[in-house]
Amino acid sequence: MKSLFKQKEFSILAIVLLISSILTFVSPVFLTVGNLLDLIEGNVVIGILAIGMTLIIITSDIDVSVAAVTTAVAVSISYLFGFLPDSWISVLLLFLFAPVIGLVMGLFNGLLVSKIEIPAIVVTLGTLNIIAGLVLYITNGNYVNSTSFPQSFLSFSNIEILGIPILIYLLAIVAVGTWFILKHTLIGRSVLAIGGNTQSSVRVGINYQRVKLFVFAYMGFLAGIAAIAQTAYTKAVDPNGMIGLELTVIAAVVLGGANIHGGRGSIHGTLLGVLLLAIMQNGMILARIDTYWQNVVTGAIIVIAVSYDQISYKRSQDKLANIEVEA
Amino acid sequence: MSDYILQMKNISKTFPGVKALDNVQLEVKKGEVHALIGENGAGKSTLIKILAGIHQPDPGAEFYFEGKDAEIKKPIDATLKGVSIIYQDLSLFPNLSVAENIYIGRDSGKKAWKKVNWKNIKRISEKALKELEVDVDINTKVEQLSIAQQQLIEIARAMAFESKLIVMDEPTSSLSSSEVEKLYRVVDKLSAQGISIIFISHKLKELFRLSDRFTVLRDGKYVGSYDVDTIDEAKLVNLMVGREVTYEKNQSQVKTGEVIFEVRDFSKSGNFKDISFQLREGEVLGITGLVGAGRTELAQSIFGINKKDQGSLEIHGEPVDIRSSEDAVKKGVAYVPEARQTQGLVLDQSIINNISLPVIDKLNNKFKFIDRKIEVEMAQQYIKSLDVRPSLPELPASKLSGGNQQKVVIGKWLSAQPKILIIDEPTNGIDIGAKTEIHKLLRRLANEGIGVIMISSELPEVLAVSDRILVMRNGKISGEMDVNQATQEKIMNYALGGNGKQHESVVIEKEKVSQEV
Repeated sequence: MKSLFKQKEFSILAIVLLISSILTFVSPVFLTVGNLLDLIEGNVVIGILAIGMTLIIITSDIDVSVAAVTTAVAVSISYLFGFLPDSWISVLLLFLFAPVIGLVMGLFNGLLVSKIEIPAIVVTLGTLNIIAGLVLYITNGNYVNSTSFPQSFLSFSNIEILGIPILIYLLAIVAVGTWFILKHTLIGRSVLAIGGNTQSSVRVGINYQRVKLFVFAYMGFLAGIAAIAQTAYTKAVDPNGMIGLELTVIAAVVLGGANIHGGRGSIHGTLLGVLLLAIMQNGMILARIDTYWQNVVTGAIIVIAVSYDQISYKRSQDKLANIEVEA
Repeated sequence: MSDYILQMKNISKTFPGVKALDNVQLEVKKGEVHALIGENGAGKSTLIKILAGIHQPDPGAEFYFEGKDAEIKKPIDATLKGVSIIYQDLSLFPNLSVAENIYIGRDSGKKAWKKVNWKNIKRISEKALKELEVDVDINTKVEQLSIAQQQLIEIARAMAFESKLIVMDEPTSSLSSSEVEKLYRVVDKLSAQGISIIFISHKLKELFRLSDRFTVLRDGKYVGSYDVDTIDEAKLVNLMVGREVTYEKNQSQVKTGEVIFEVRDFSKSGNFKDISFQLREGEVLGITGLVGAGRTELAQSIFGINKKDQGSLEIHGEPVDIRSSEDAVKKGVAYVPEARQTQGLVLDQSIINNISLPVIDKLNNKFKFIDRKIEVEMAQQYIKSLDVRPSLPELPASKLSGGNQQKVVIGKWLSAQPKILIIDEPTNGIDIGAKTEIHKLLRRLANEGIGVIMISSELPEVLAVSDRILVMRNGKISGEMDVNQATQEKIMNYALGGNGKQHESVVIEKEKVSQEV
């Protein structure tokens, strides 16, 4: 129990609860099932992407191309609608095609990062621009709305089970699946290991290039799933709709306790990070705070969280260094 | 069956520009503790990295495990042969639990999607810890353990692998004396179980306490292997230092000039303690000792980049306060670091740009732009006086040989016209001919009035260049002598705490230190 309180995730949960109770007083609407479900459903895309980003940040890398990749898959989906018949099979096929398209783009990032060893920020900045440029060239920046969507897809996106929207189940499946990979498979443990100490991982025979390739490919795979969620949620494909979303995703992961130096991060922490960002946004809307101020507050919280993280990291390093020479 | 668990023969390793190992051999018998010994840079680490599969030897190398021909291409090959290596800096994962750290690597090479068997991990790690009689909760994260405990976790990992040969690279260098005793007992226990151990250490006393046999390396060459009862400390020191390449010892008279630089009571917790010395005009002061004795840390503190706890400095009789490298440069102190490629040079830039770097703000013309003409003239002057070859001022520094790169680094600092030049391992990784040139250059600078402090592990170099020599051990000055009284053996004794009597006092000192902190 003691270790539970010590965990970083616990302090995030505490902040989430604190803000929630304040919001409950400020606005009676906040603590209603309807508002909370809306809030979560509206953040499913960010949640799925943040889960993928968690693995990348654990290996001390970063991927800024996620929003562009998701948009590219969403645009591909709108073209696929033209070829696929209007039936349930097509919805299932979509769940096959979209992740694979994302996976291919993720593999491209991963190959450049792991085999050619270009820093991930450079690679993904490059692919961000390439993909975003191609998307605008192909679509002319045109918005595709739901009139051209097959009826089967629209009814899929409206499914509710036990009063909970289908997209929330999708997020739950992704979260549990990724948690299982991270906790219970060899590749998942290797992700944590190379984040903890790359040199040690080479010495114990972990193929760290393969692990890096995996995290970027998996990110692309999840971006494909996120693209379905985005299309289902907005019932439209907007080539400009997700610009800058990668920053929110990274912010959620970092708020959720993942260490930007690698080695630390968890799925439940990331989900709490997403939730924290979401209720802050929601709360500020309910409190009628100007949109511009919302960005300022969100940004400030991210800077404070990362500074706190960096300071405590430095302290722990100093402490370690001292132990080594004192002994 | 062979008596030997491991035989390595004809091991050579060439790094660009340097032959790190030249036809070295190493033979370890089953169940013995085998000491691998040599000075800093003798090639011990390179040899171990070849055994570990991290470096590949030059063609012609032969490996035999238990008498059978073997190949080690990557780390997993060594692991599968039953070789575990415990590096000085350890190979642990601070963010993972003790259990996982012990188990990790066993599944390497298996399918990525293989499910991790937590029960198995728990069972294996608990068993290994029990065998070692270590009382640590297997769910603790390794970052919460002390260094001594971490080391035991590494040994537990080796046991969990059922290793037949464990290499320990200076395992006692960061342990307190009671922890050291415990480690000795573990080593005894392992060898009683038939596990062979290669033990690398600079502490002669512990090697005589633990080892059955010694293999001595010197300058990347194999000197010999000796049974413990055929050798004593004096002979061992002799084998370690008696080298074929020697420089002429500096014959200069003791300098009696004015004191130009004085360091008083420098201390930094965990780095060095109570360091005081003076530097006279025209003098080269050599500071030597083992790696980790605190020499570099001291130099960096004088230069202001490693914050000292206390101490004061005087230059030409005037107290100076140096808190940053910027202060140091302003007061006329220059520091040439050991890693000249990463810390001393901008490799992609031309020789000119490198040399003018410290004084670039003084090369302005009347429009406050950099006056390229003055810059080129100044650089050419240093290229000529330091004899940088090829003397092409526009050549990027990366195209120069190690010796010429070092000259550029020195030229760079000379352009700032320092009063004191501190130079760390000036000839590391430089070939013999160029070494002599650098030595002459350092002597010349001293004769021209710059106070030179040279840190070096290479004893012939210390004797060839210095007028006076300070030896450091465990963060303290353990010996000071004029060059005309110095010998390699004498220095080595001060550095190691060589003979029995002195060693007793070291142990006491060390206990005192650990009580203080």
